[in-house]
Amino acid sequence: MSKGVQIAGGATLVALLLGWYAASNLEAGASFAYFKTLSEFQAAQPELIGHHARVHGYVALGSIQRDVAAKQVRFHVQGEPPHAGGAPGQPLEVVFGSLETPDLFKDGAEVVVEGRLSEAGDVFHADKVMAKCPSKFESAAGGPAAI
Amino acid sequence: MSDLGAYALRFALLIALLGLVAGFRAGIGRRPEWTRVAERSVFVVSGCVALAIGVLFAAFASFDYQLAYVAAHSARSMALPYRLAALWGGQAGSLLLWLFILSAYSSACVALQRRQNRSLMPWVVVVLLANATFFLVLLCFVTDPFEKLPHAAALSDGAGLNPLLQHPVMMIHPVMLYTGLVGFVVPFAFAFAALATGELGDTWFRTTRRWTLVPWLFLSIGIMLGGRWAYEVLGWGGYWGWDPVENASFMPWLPATAYLHSVMIQEKRNMLKTWNLLLIGLTYTLCLFGTFLTRSGVVQSVHAFAQTPLFTTVFLGYVLATAGVFLGVLLARRKQLRSEQRIESFVSREASFLLNNWLFIALLMVVFWGTLFPVFSEALTGKRIALGPKFFNGMAFVPTLLLLFLTGVGPLIAWRRSSPSLLRRQFTLPAAAGVAGGLLIWAWYGSELEFYLLMVSALGAFVTGTVVQEYTRAIRVRVRKGEENALQAFASLLRKNQQRYGGYIVHLGVVLVLLGTAGSVLNEERLENVRPGSEIRLHGYRLRYLTAEALPAQHYGGAQARIALYRDEQPLAVMLPEKRMYWLEQQPASIPSIYSTLQEDLYVILTALEADGSATLKVYRNPLVSWIWIGGAVFVLGTLAVMWPHPNRGAGPRSG
Repeated sequence: MSKGVQIAGGATLVALLLGWYAASNLEAGASFAYFKTLSEFQAAQPELIGHHARVHGYVALGSIQRDVAAKQVRFHVQGEPPHAGGAPGQPLEVVFGSLETPDLFKDGAEVVVEGRLSEAGDVFHADKVMAKCPSKFESAAGGPAAI
Repeated sequence: MSDLGAYALRFALLIALLGLVAGFRAGIGRRPEWTRVAERSVFVVSGCVALAIGVLFAAFASFDYQLAYVAAHSARSMALPYRLAALWGGQAGSLLLWLFILSAYSSACVALQRRQNRSLMPWVVVVLLANATFFLVLLCFVTDPFEKLPHAAALSDGAGLNPLLQHPVMMIHPVMLYTGLVGFVVPFAFAFAALATGELGDTWFRTTRRWTLVPWLFLSIGIMLGGRWAYEVLGWGGYWGWDPVENASFMPWLPATAYLHSVMIQEKRNMLKTWNLLLIGLTYTLCLFGTFLTRSGVVQSVHAFAQTPLFTTVFLGYVLATAGVFLGVLLARRKQLRSEQRIESFVSREASFLLNNWLFIALLMVVFWGTLFPVFSEALTGKRIALGPKFFNGMAFVPTLLLLFLTGVGPLIAWRRSSPSLLRRQFTLPAAAGVAGGLLIWAWYGSELEFYLLMVSALGAFVTGTVVQEYTRAIRVRVRKGEENALQAFASLLRKNQQRYGGYIVHLGVVLVLLGTAGSVLNEERLENVRPGSEIRLHGYRLRYLTAEALPAQHYGGAQARIALYRDEQPLAVMLPEKRMYWLEQQPASIPSIYSTLQEDLYVILTALEADGSATLKVYRNPLVSWIWIGGAVFVLGTLAVMWPHPNRGAGPRSG
């Protein structure tokens, strides 16, 4: 075998190994930032019951209830920003099973909730809530939990 | 007054274009009289840019809210240092800072090279001015920091600066980072000049050794400070989250570090000429690309600035053009770049350096593809998939451990080839140190210990053993000669062979930083809701929540929790995490309270004060974090030792 073939063979082997290694890590580490908007989610709702999903929306004004005893936060998510006017549409009721809400989580905040819709299809059980500040600022800092 | 800044930038653009023409005439026509013209235009451009940035600083200092940029990024309530630092709080200002640093480097380079490398200088100046021209065009026509608000819209106060950026570290971190990123333009310019003139000997890299070390040092400091800021301000318990913008600053660091190693092979063995040129090209391209990532919003990030399509297109074109032109001249010269030497044995220092280079590039690939994965996944499947820290950590740990291993191996094996008896003599002590390090950390942490921390400790001890052995042998030789004591011998080693012995200190810094980051595998966290008087327990610590009080009124309000920290029965500290609300910016922030020891940090965040009088607290125990900052300081000292100018040493060849 010529040296070129040897090198090419070795390189292919290494590339294949690396590819396999990358693919295995991809599955473990991918946080699927892909999300559905609230209306997309509601349109596809029947099939989504019990499945993991990410939904994008805005926190309805005055809807945040922190239940310290049960260690959860309840709030409503609507499809349009509350200050934009227009019909808010059918909101989604969300139960977040932790008191650890991000700093930027507040009335009107843009959020992505990650979790599952309950069997009855009426409540979304979130295990992760990510919030973004209103795009009033050019720079949008807010910790890794921001989207 | 502010018009002066806008005029200065436009005049600078004109002069930069003239200088470019002069540089080309000098370079292509080999007419040295034009070189001086080109060089002088660099000074004029730098003067104008300095004037422009001075004017913008003055506008921030004097509340000139007629300027849209000043109004959007500062407010009357901010103290002067923060108002000045607000200059790089947005896109236009940070580009002006980029240009300012670029022109400062350019002037310094031209001034220091005025008697050397006359044949290279025309092309060096062309590259420097071409880059300046691009930023001047951006600042004059695409994103103008001196743009005025219409008269009717004149504001009495500005919108303020993102409160998270109002932190002492944020006044220097961006400057350090930019001084790092921009500085690679000088070695890049020399590499280009070497290719353009065909003078591909060792002049270009010997000249640029310090020009590479300076930005490399600043970039390293900038990355460290960024981590420190994230740890103390962002309140999520960590210092590095593989965020796209963090990655953008880390990416150029990898090929630059690879280059600093592989250039030694070229120096010693006259090999890898093409590779070294490629690494420098890659480093500078990644610096530009990183700036592009940060400033364009292509990848969503906590630091990303607003996006404008024109800016994105123009800047991406610039990055690609830079890489394309460089690759073009490299290809044109490929015949001249053939190496006359071959690697003789895999058990040789050059082979270990080559492997080191591949590993740095492998790490770069991981970070690069991981960062851009959302963009590619969206293009291919329509879904935007971001990769989290798990991916990066999972991918990076093997190359990192191998690199750490090689850090210990490299200095121990000889150039060309090593004999078995030599290997035995060299490896016995460091290998024993490695085993001892592993046993020590195992004894310390017991069953809690994780594989990664064990490996980093053992390999770190191996590297330390190597460094200690190298130093003690060399010092002993000098002392035996009878002219010096051990301390003097240490100093003269650092002076006479600064690259080698300073480099070992850098290695020790890296070991400590890696040890500190490896501590994160043992991190623990707990979220609990507590009433005043009750406690949270975490790993032998007790945190008693005492009370919460309102913060005194200032440009932010909020509350501060008081927590008494005990270890078993012994009181340690009072911790005061804060929950702030910045009124003007309508932005909340959680400021953690950190109790730091060499062994571990206890880190508390006030997540929420609940309506019923209780507090929700998040507590982290982060082992070994302090060693990151200590290692960073050692790293900086080592780098300074490598590049410290010693007057008694000329530009002659160095031994390494």
